[in-house]
Amino acid sequence: MSIARFSPFELLLLKSRSQVDTATLLLLAWVLVHRQHVSEGQRRRRLAQVTAQFRHGHELSPVMSIAHSQDLQAIQLAAEVVRKECGTERSLSVIHQAITVATDDGELSLANHYILRFLADLLSVTPVTLNTLFKEITGTSLATPEDPSRDAYWQTHDPDYHARKAREAEAAEQQHQQANARAEQQQRKKQQRHQQKQQKQQEKQQRQEQARQAREQEQQRQREQTRRQEQERQRQQQQREQHRSRQQEHRNRQQRPSSPPPDRTTRALSVLGLTPGATRIEVRHAYRRMAQLHHPDRFYSESEHQVALASARFQRIKNAYDYLMQTY
Amino acid sequence: MRDLYQRLAVSPEANDQEINQAVASCLHSALRQDAEAVFAVAERRETYDTLHDTVSNIGKLRARLGLSHGAHWQGDVANDFSLPPDHAISRHDELVDRVSHAVSLYNRWRRLRGPWLLVAVFAAGGGIGIALGLALCLGLLPM
Repeated sequence: MSIARFSPFELLLLKSRSQVDTATLLLLAWVLVHRQHVSEGQRRRRLAQVTAQFRHGHELSPVMSIAHSQDLQAIQLAAEVVRKECGTERSLSVIHQAITVATDDGELSLANHYILRFLADLLSVTPVTLNTLFKEITGTSLATPEDPSRDAYWQTHDPDYHARKAREAEAAEQQHQQANARAEQQQRKKQQRHQQKQQKQQEKQQRQEQARQAREQEQQRQREQTRRQEQERQRQQQQREQHRSRQQEHRNRQQRPSSPPPDRTTRALSVLGLTPGATRIEVRHAYRRMAQLHHPDRFYSESEHQVALASARFQRIKNAYDYLMQTY
Repeated sequence: MRDLYQRLAVSPEANDQEINQAVASCLHSALRQDAEAVFAVAERRETYDTLHDTVSNIGKLRARLGLSHGAHWQGDVANDFSLPPDHAISRHDELVDRVSHAVSLYNRWRRLRGPWLLVAVFAAGGGIGIALGLALCLGLLPM
C-alpha cells in the first residue's frame, strides 16, 4: 500500500461535487495554457465563461496552477476520469468546449493541435467527426499541424533571419570583389613598371652590342694575318676534338639501355604496391586485393566525404591496372 | 513534427557544442539541413523545445492510457514520440485504493478509541520517567 500523500489535484477531485466536471476543467485549462498571445487573466475569464454550468463547486485558480505546472500524473488522472464517466454526448460537448477554448479568435497553436487530437482519441471521436465539429465552430477545416523540425517551416515563419543572412552574404561578396579589384590594379601597376624596366635594359644591351661588334671587326682584321699561320695547327686540333666527342657519344648510347623502364609503368606498379619487374599474375592479384580494400561501397556507412575519397583512390588503382594490362 | 534529438542521437539537454558536433557528423544531408535550421538560432531551439516537451508528454500519456495507436496519432509524430506501453496502474484505481486505505485506517483508529489510548501511553511514559529520575536523585543506581 502506498503511503504517499494525496496530490493537490487528487484532493480537489475528492472535494469536488462532480468529479467529471473537475477533470474536464483541468483538461480545458491544459488546452488554455498552451494558447499563445493570451494573458493569464484572459485565460481565467475564458475558462470561467466556458464552464459556467459545471457543478464542481470549487475555485478555478488551483486548477489553473496545476495546469501550469504540467503535472502529468494529474492530467492522466483527469483523462482517466473523463474517459470513464463521459458518454457519447458528453464527450462531444467536451471536445466542443476544448475547440472553443483553443481557437477563440486566433489560430490553433501547434501544441494544441496535438492536445486536441489526444482528447479526440481519448474520447473516441473519429477524425471525420472532429473535422466537421472544428469546421462548424471555427469556419476553417482542421489542417495538419506545421512541422518546426523542418527547414521549410523556418523559411516561412522566420523570413527576417533569412533576409538578414542574405544581406550579410551580399556585403561579404562585395567586400571580396573590391579587394579583388584592388589586387588586380596593383598587379597591373607592377607589370607596367616591370615592362618599362625591361625596355630600358633592352636599349642598353643593344647599344653595348653595337659597340662590341665595331671592336670585334677591328680585331678580326688584325688577327687575320696571324690566323693564316696557325690554320694548319688548328685543323689538326679540331680533328682530335671531334674524334673525342664521337667516342663520348658512343659511350652515352651504351649506358642508356640499363636505365630504369619508362616512368609511367613504375608509377602504376607502385600504385598497386608492387616493385618494378612484377609479373602479370602478380599485378592481377595486387589489383584484386587493392580494389577490395578501397572499394567505395565499403565506406558507404561512414560519410559522403569518405566515400568520395575512396572512389578517387579506387579510380587511380583501376587506371593503373588498365595501363599495366595494356603494356604488359 | 519529428524528434530531432532522437534522430541525431543526442539528449534534449545537450549543450550547443554537443549538438553542433552531432549535426556535423550526421550522414543524412536533408536531416542535417533541417537540424541546422532549427539549432542555429537560440530562439528557434527554444520554440522547438517547448513543443517537443508537450508532444513527448502527450506521447507518455498515450502510452499510459493505451492510446498509442489512435486514429489521430500517426505519421512522424507517432513514429518518434510513441513509447512502449506502460504497465503502471491506472491513476484512478490508485486514487480509489488510497482513499479506501485512508478510510480503513481512520475506522480502525476510531474503533480502538485512539485518543484514550494515546493518553494512556503518555501517562505510562511519564510515570517511568519520573521513577527513573527519583532513583537517580536518591543514588540508588550505581552511576
